[in-house]
Amino acid sequence: MSLFLHYLSLPYLLEGIELTLQVTALGLFGGLILGLILAWMQLSRFWLLAAFARGYAVIFRGTPLILQMVFAYDALPHIGITLPAVIAAGLALACNEAPFIAEMLRSGVLGVDRGQVLAGQALGMTPAVLMRHVIAPQAIRTMIPAFGNESVSALKNSSLASVIAVQELTLRSTQLASSTFDFFSIFFASGLLYLVLTGAVSVIQLGLEWLLDLDRAKNLGKNQRKLADYLPWRRVDLAARLELAEARAPAVEISYPFPSEVIDLPPLALTREQRTKRATIIARNNIAVDVSELRKAYGAQKVLGGLDLTVRIGEVVALLGPSGSGKSTLLRCINHLENWDAGTVRVGGRRLGFDEAGKKLTPRAVANERANVGVGMVFQQFNLFGHLTARENIAGPLRWVHGMGKGDADRRADELLDRVGLSHRADALPRHLSGGQQQRVAIARALAPNPSVLLLDEPTSALDPELVNEVLEVIRRLAIDDGLTMIISTHQIRFADEVADRVAFLSGGVILEEGPAHEVLTRPRNPVTARFLSVMEAGKAPEVVR
Amino acid sequence: MQKWSFTGGRRKSADGSWLKAALGAVVAILALILWAPISAQAAPAGCAALQAKYPQWKGKTLVNAVNPHTPGYEAIDPKDPSKYVGFDIDLGEAIGDCLGFKLTYKPVVFAALLTTLASGQADIVISDIYATKERAKAADFITYSKVFDGVLVAKGNPKQISGINTTLCGAAAAENTGFVEVPLVQDMGPKCKAEGKPEPTLQLYDNNANCIQAILAGRADTYVNDVNTVDQAVKANPDKLEKAIAVTIPYSVGIAVPKDKPEFRAAVLAALIEVQKAGIHMDLLKKWELDVNNFKEPDILTAD
Repeated sequence: MSLFLHYLSLPYLLEGIELTLQVTALGLFGGLILGLILAWMQLSRFWLLAAFARGYAVIFRGTPLILQMVFAYDALPHIGITLPAVIAAGLALACNEAPFIAEMLRSGVLGVDRGQVLAGQALGMTPAVLMRHVIAPQAIRTMIPAFGNESVSALKNSSLASVIAVQELTLRSTQLASSTFDFFSIFFASGLLYLVLTGAVSVIQLGLEWLLDLDRAKNLGKNQRKLADYLPWRRVDLAARLELAEARAPAVEISYPFPSEVIDLPPLALTREQRTKRATIIARNNIAVDVSELRKAYGAQKVLGGLDLTVRIGEVVALLGPSGSGKSTLLRCINHLENWDAGTVRVGGRRLGFDEAGKKLTPRAVANERANVGVGMVFQQFNLFGHLTARENIAGPLRWVHGMGKGDADRRADELLDRVGLSHRADALPRHLSGGQQQRVAIARALAPNPSVLLLDEPTSALDPELVNEVLEVIRRLAIDDGLTMIISTHQIRFADEVADRVAFLSGGVILEEGPAHEVLTRPRNPVTARFLSVMEAGKAPEVVR
Repeated sequence: MQKWSFTGGRRKSADGSWLKAALGAVVAILALILWAPISAQAAPAGCAALQAKYPQWKGKTLVNAVNPHTPGYEAIDPKDPSKYVGFDIDLGEAIGDCLGFKLTYKPVVFAALLTTLASGQADIVISDIYATKERAKAADFITYSKVFDGVLVAKGNPKQISGINTTLCGAAAAENTGFVEVPLVQDMGPKCKAEGKPEPTLQLYDNNANCIQAILAGRADTYVNDVNTVDQAVKANPDKLEKAIAVTIPYSVGIAVPKDKPEFRAAVLAALIEVQKAGIHMDLLKKWELDVNNFKEPDILTAD
């Protein structure tokens, strides 16, 4: 025991820790930088970069670290690169860590909900902005445990540097054991020193998890998660989170599906005269969206088969049709979230996807185009940014894409939240909101940059029936009060009848029938339309129609 | 230099001259005081000429790759672990003093000694390494010591092992990776078979300490290595280990130098001769309680 304590406090061993940490730090930071490059290459659009990164991973993940250490130390000098031992060990460790870290980064990035990425693109975020403000903050949170693991493993792997004469803890221990024959006291002491180091890594990991915990950061008052909740014997995770979410949602909200400001409004259905008047005004307006001869196929499967659609400013067009008829694809093409094979899409007279010389745009240029043209989009699955509060979901893109100041952006966000009846939920995270509330925030977010056209892709399909109306009510008001140009794909026939000026019925990637909403919905000429409508009226799911 | 002329005086004191005897006594005390850092202080007379002949290493610091797991030859100093001590360390420094260079140490596993030298990460290897034709393909050797091996066994020698012979049949031998004893043990395989006995098994470890632990843990029956190393192990664990016997091995211990530096090889050889002539080599054997029969006039061993 006394020998053990003697070796535990022996400066010779303690100094070894310094080198252990140096090699580990070089390995981790070098590995992080290399890993970032590799992950970027693997996620790149260019296949050659991705192939190179794959090849690298195969080699460096597939060979033992000890060989890599010896290679960096003993083989590189033969081509004229003589690195000091610590650097050689750090280099080998970094090269070895890189593919593991790259995979962590890649899975972190791919693990971020695709819908949020799509929503970010729809808001006009360039790939860089999207990465920085949407993907990275969420990916990093999920990657912390894996990073903790990787750090501990790198720390232990640094002991292999002993084979190339780095005087780190393990090498010092073995030498000391050889010269003193106190084998076990020395290795127990050095084992304990390693435990202290890896323990410190675990503490840092837990601290970071606590710091970045969204439930901690968002003013949860007495329900705030404490650092102590992360102690291994505490069981707070799932149960506590649910509790937290409920504690934050006012009881009234649960008993009433939508807030009183919205529910109290008188019904906004238009009379026949109002409709006629509206139609004449719209007919004189300029064209907002002009889709012509649009064709798209996924492999052999045709999705859009030469589709034409013209929408005038102030007009509300409802796209009806069975699932797979091309409604969503059409909307995504109008926002250029998808490429098409042939045909043109013009928004506000501008041809999307090509510059003035007719050259195809890069993803970055497409993003800027989206922001400039002003097409807002609302998704079936809401696609709110999960790590941001309701307010920040709206204000963030205004700052990042449109360069608005923080004060202005927050004011605009609050104003819009007020309009959708959610002022009191401004600081809530999406996961603490009901589906209907989330969709209202998503609508507010899409409206924030004052889009010239708002596209809504089945905005109520993912909602529980009792939450549908609060969202429809918001959309109805946008159409009638604000005169916003909207293209809505929907299965809500009655809603389309009340709100849309025109209905277009899609099937097989073309418009089978279109015309004034009430006329098409009540007296369809095409038998396919008629059958679809009768099935929908019977309250059956649209999928049955296919 | 100074000290060696005084030492000359001590020899003369044997003549009987009182004054000289008194002076000799003073010098003897001085010599005792200077005993420990002998290599740092001493540089034989011929060394000045060598430094003139080979000026390119004077004032330099060279790297000596060692496998510091053999107490007595090279190991860290238990009292001050920042230092390496042992016969090889002192001998290397005596050679360095003679040619005017200093040494720093690079600890590597035994099997990596010559690789480290070949890659240029070290300039010289003085680490109780046996010079063999096979190894001479990787480095040139200047031999300086005869080899006596000891057979380390558990107390009482339960398997009655008496050397690298058929008593090894069916036994488990622990060895260091890269040691010359490895092929010697392997060669026993066919011989054991011929006698209808099971072949010996070989356990390869990274360093002496692990080989010794293998016997202490009952995993291995024997560990054949340099007799001094075996003695040290027995000294550290007198109630658990014993030396069965000492055997001669047909090799010499050598200083390894890079193959592409014949001039350095010549310089080290010349310096070693000076060091031996001055009696330092023998003194160091005594200082480290090694068998003086180890002493050997230097030779060059190369692959061709």
